[in-house]
Amino acid sequence: MTLEELMRRAGLWRAGEAPPEGGLSTGFSALDAILPGGGWPQPGLIEILATQPGIGALRLVLPALAALSRQPHWLIWVAPPHRPYAPALQAAGIDLAHVLLIDGAEPKAPAAAAPAATLSACWSWRRAAEGEFWAFEQALRFPECGAALWWPAHLEALALRRLQLACEAGGSLGILFRPAECAAQASPAALRLSVQPLAATPEVQVRILKCRGSLRARECRLSL
Amino acid sequence: MNTLENNTSLQALIAPLKPVVRLQCRPAAALGAQPASRLWLAIHLPRFTLDMATRGNTERRACVLVDGQGTRQRITLVNGEAARLGIQIGMPLGAAHALGEVLPFMRVPAAEQRALAQLCAWAYQFTPMVAPVGPDALVLEVRGSLALFGGLPGLLIRLRRELRQLGFNALSFGSAPTPTAAIWLARARHSTPVETLAGLPAALSQVPIEVLNLSTKLQQDFCGIGVRTLGDCLRLPRESLARRFAPALLLELDRALGRQPDPRPAFTLPQVFSSRIDLLWEIHHVQALSVAMERLLSELAGVLRAAVASVRGLRWRLYHADGSSTDYPLTLVEPSADTLHLLRLSREHFLRQPLASPVRGICLEAADFETRPVTPGGDLFAGRQGGPGGTETWPRFVERLRARLGGKALQQLTASPDHRPERAGSTQAFNGTRLRRPLATGAESSPRWRERPLWLTRQPLPLSECDGQPNLDGPLHLDGERERIHSGWWDGAEVARDYFIAHNQHGTRLWVFRELTGPRGWYLHGIFE
Repeated sequence: MTLEELMRRAGLWRAGEAPPEGGLSTGFSALDAILPGGGWPQPGLIEILATQPGIGALRLVLPALAALSRQPHWLIWVAPPHRPYAPALQAAGIDLAHVLLIDGAEPKAPAAAAPAATLSACWSWRRAAEGEFWAFEQALRFPECGAALWWPAHLEALALRRLQLACEAGGSLGILFRPAECAAQASPAALRLSVQPLAATPEVQVRILKCRGSLRARECRLSL
Repeated sequence: MNTLENNTSLQALIAPLKPVVRLQCRPAAALGAQPASRLWLAIHLPRFTLDMATRGNTERRACVLVDGQGTRQRITLVNGEAARLGIQIGMPLGAAHALGEVLPFMRVPAAEQRALAQLCAWAYQFTPMVAPVGPDALVLEVRGSLALFGGLPGLLIRLRRELRQLGFNALSFGSAPTPTAAIWLARARHSTPVETLAGLPAALSQVPIEVLNLSTKLQQDFCGIGVRTLGDCLRLPRESLARRFAPALLLELDRALGRQPDPRPAFTLPQVFSSRIDLLWEIHHVQALSVAMERLLSELAGVLRAAVASVRGLRWRLYHADGSSTDYPLTLVEPSADTLHLLRLSREHFLRQPLASPVRGICLEAADFETRPVTPGGDLFAGRQGGPGGTETWPRFVERLRARLGGKALQQLTASPDHRPERAGSTQAFNGTRLRRPLATGAESSPRWRERPLWLTRQPLPLSECDGQPNLDGPLHLDGERERIHSGWWDGAEVARDYFIAHNQHGTRLWVFRELTGPRGWYLHGIFE
């Protein structure tokens, strides 16, 4: 295959190309300002890499989720690490009637005797089970699905590519929450963000690791 | 307003696209002002028994049908592969084994009858006048259906294609104004249709007398006097034919030629479906079952088209080599008659549960027939929007997820006005439809309640304690204000806790509580994000 043939192939994104217009507003003006489309790339696959569990990765997407659920589109949560708490989601403006939870493996009750030492131990990064990958991909391909959320620890680059294509096919927003170690892995996702807490402040630092339509790494501080 | 004209043009548009509208299949011409003569179409499946036995497998093997006992076993039917080995009808089974590897089958008349009745139900989609003709043929009165299916050639093409989907490759058609003549023509592979009674004697004259399925003795008698075709037979004097041979034969000839009425019992369509395919050998993988599944589902699709019905559920039954069987019931969110959808669902369903033991047979049953409203306008444009493959609806999407992941995997979130955190936000099994909007008076969602975490741990997780402070990644800093939740003493799920918002050294905010009773332990119950 020559270079010209490769360039003509659909689905190939070139770094210099103009960013897709009309992103979905994140609800944070500082973040919207540094994202090339003015918001979340929709459709597209987003990877949010957090250095610590529970520091606000989910809160980062909540305003957009709330907007999607009221359009109304379905929000499909695949194998979340804990139970999404309905009163808090309602308070954030999410319409619970459009939330579907897919959780195949009912977690075993942990041995009550052993207290957890770290929060990471309480945060069950799942090994990407086949059923979960399938369900997430199907959700992304389903046209009425606004956004699908998943918390896999390890994913092959090929699997990520499949998910990005599924987003484009279904017109949906695929949101992957992954540990920060995954930043070293190459990824075809439309947008990769890292979230990291700032010492001694209630703010977090959001850094764009990769984004279609922009080569420079940019960052902003958000109060979530 | 020319609504009538609009209707007819719409009908004309629909007919070639969706030829499943039963009202149009009825032989209305028989009731009309211009009574057209009937046209019977006979479908003869010469290898019916063998095709029944082998249609669950893709791989072709030489198969023969044997009759008789012990050393006098003779071959009565061969399939294409067996014929290629040089095996002929009438050979002893031993001689066939010497020519190559063959699978012998015995005739099971009861199973054949059942299968033929099942095939009649399938054929009911083409015309409401269907009758089985044992052991291997059926007749359909098709005059009223011709316009719908594009004339006799169009109907034959469609029948041939759909019968092939069911696994019946060897077939011949015959059409004539009387059913008996149609069957004889089909057995003689005389495919030119005979439209009028006047044309029948000429058409039948060349047909060999073997099509009459006479007894061996009668056949020899006829041979003895040089009668080889029906034409020869018809030239014999009627009285001597009745006296010397069988009186029943004369009646049959009269019926074939339309001199005597030839009533056929009306076939009534059963409101259940049950069909079974036996496999030639044991199957260990689900993938190898897909041919049999596809065939059974296309059979079901035909019966559903005939009944203008959809199903609410299916039941697959796998027969194992050791005589046991496993049932796989499949319930649908909304009634469906779409075979492709059902096949997809069934595949997901089987993939979820691996085969317990090797399979020798598969059976499909469906009982909950539901009358489907005939809305040609709705059908016409369904599946044509939203690009290739059409748009999947929410119920179908849910069904697919449920078939693959199991019913328990799909959950929905509910918020209810309860002080206990576990009750205030809980999950329940997803029932397939949109959740009813919760009452707006949810106590927990009203602003006078304090902030709640985005995550609730599935169970409270015990925390270690150091100097009266909980520990997680080092000591946790409690943000002072406590919230006491003491509730539920009336229903056995009592909660007596002091909740605090804490943060750890990374700045993660956590929802922890201390029990008010018992050992007064610390627990993690939520993560704020």
